[in-house]
Parts: sequence; C-alpha cells; structure tokens
Amino acid sequence: MVFGRSKSSTSTTPSAPSKAAAACSEMRAAYHECFNRWYADKFAKGQWQRDDCTDHWHKYRACLEEHLEDKHLRQILLDAETSTFYDRPETDPPSGQGAKK
Amino acid sequence: MVVYTQEHVYRHPWDRVTAAAWRKFTDPASRTALSHVADVHTLHRRLDSGTGRLHAARSITVRSPLLPFILRRLLPSAAASPNGAALCHCVETSLVDAQRRAMDVVVRNVSLRGIIEVEERASYRPHPDRPDEWTQFRQETTIRCRPLAALAAVAEKVETRCAERFLQNSAKGREVVERICRYLEAESAGAAPSAV
Repeated sequence: MVFGRSKSSTSTTPSAPSKAAAACSEMRAAYHECFNRWYADKFAKGQWQRDDCTDHWHKYRACLEEHLEDKHLRQILLDAETSTFYDRPETDPPSGQGAKK
Repeated sequence: MVVYTQEHVYRHPWDRVTAAAWRKFTDPASRTALSHVADVHTLHRRLDSGTGRLHAARSITVRSPLLPFILRRLLPSAAASPNGAALCHCVETSLVDAQRRAMDVVVRNVSLRGIIEVEERASYRPHPDRPDEWTQFRQETTIRCRPLAALAAVAEKVETRCAERFLQNSAKGREVVERICRYLEAESAGAAPSAV
C-alpha cells in the first residue's frame, strides 16, 4: 500500500505518495501559477468577466481524471461538472458571537 | 460535540488576504509550517462571469493525529502505518463573491465520516472599521463524534485530540496567510523578496 510509510519519511516529505500527485504535479503547478496571478491581479480587483486559466484547468483536470485513485475524490471530480452540488449558495458565515464551546 | 470560534484581523486589504488564503496550502514555503497537509488538488471550479462569483472545490489530504487502536482498525491506511498515523481526505468548498468582497470556505472530512464529522467554516470580509485596508477573518470549527456505542469511551478523547490538532493548525494557517500577505505586499510594491 502506498500509505504504509516509515515514520521518518512521513515527517519530512512534503508531498503525498499518491499517483495523482506524481503524475499531475507539473499541470497542477502551471494551473496554480495561472490561477494565483489571475485571482490577485484581476478577479479580486473586480475584473471577473474573463477566466484566464481555463486551458490550464482542462489539462490538469484531464490528468486527475486519469490518475486520481481515491473513490470519494473521484466521485466529486466527476460529479461536479454535471451536478449543481457546488452551486448552492453557502449558508451564513460564522456569526462570530464569541466562543460557543 | 465541540464548537470553537476564532477571529482574526488581517491588516491587509481583502483582495490580498483572500489571494494569500488561496495559496496557503500550495505555497512551497508553507510546507514546513503546514506539514500535516500531504496533498491538495482542485476538483472543481466554476466562474460565473456575470455576477463575479467563483466556486471551487479542492481535496485536502491531511495526516491524521495518531489514532487510538480501535479507530486504526477501521481505517485501512492507518492499520498499515506503524505509528498509527493515517491520511484523511477533506473537501474544501469555496465561494468568492468579488462584487460583495466576500469569501466563504467550508472544509469537511470525507474519510471516517461514520466515526467523526469535522466541519470548519471560515469567512473573509472587509473589516467594518477600515474596509479598504483590513480584513476580518472568522472561523467556526465543529467536531462531532458519531454515537457509536462501542466507541463511546474513546469518542470524547478523539474529539478533544482532533480539536487540539485543528486549533494548532488554524493558528499555523493564519501565520502562513500573514506571511504570504507580506510577500504579496512587497511584490505589488515592485520589491518581492527572493525568499518567501
């Protein structure tokens, strides 16, 4: 199993031992770079009409579709494109009325 | 069930803080501080270009705290691990409304849901006193153990341990966001430091 790792390696290795991480790391990095720049320079400053990163996203997503192993995560990846699950408006944010322990 | 709320004021504008929040788990320089995060993938994203709303879902794979033996048996990856640590998957869904300057992030575990449910809801808004300069962050973490009779004895311990871990990691997450904000501030001033 990929998860059975020694203590020393889990405490020092930053990346997960997953196939998707290894296979898609370059596409993920390219997508993140594009997204981070677009978000900071355009979207968050009010220029949201155009998505600059769809090409990067489609390549990265296609890679995940091929390599993502975990069944829960796969299901979200595959369902999200067709379902309206993530289109629901979020419920109210935390009210911040102090600790409610 | 335990509920914790936390608040923090970032002395940076909303657009910078939310840009930093997106980078929190993927910034290479944050990996030491957030070493419990093993892997992050974007599973879904959608921009509503008419209203300026961005939806996204990401998977966040975290190294769990050391689990009691009885839970280790229920999680195959933990049973295989010599020290009882395991990888747990969480899903983070975000909604950013650029027009209203509102970002809401919800993280839920997908692993072990039959045993424990953790939900972390966070919001980023312009601070009411200085809306163009500061950002108000609020977070509410809810941890609920499922009432399984056989596990009742360990349930409370697990809740406490998970809560401690989440609170430690939330604090680390805020430090990371603060640091990335400083980096972005320097970058926008045309003097990005070479090391973040």
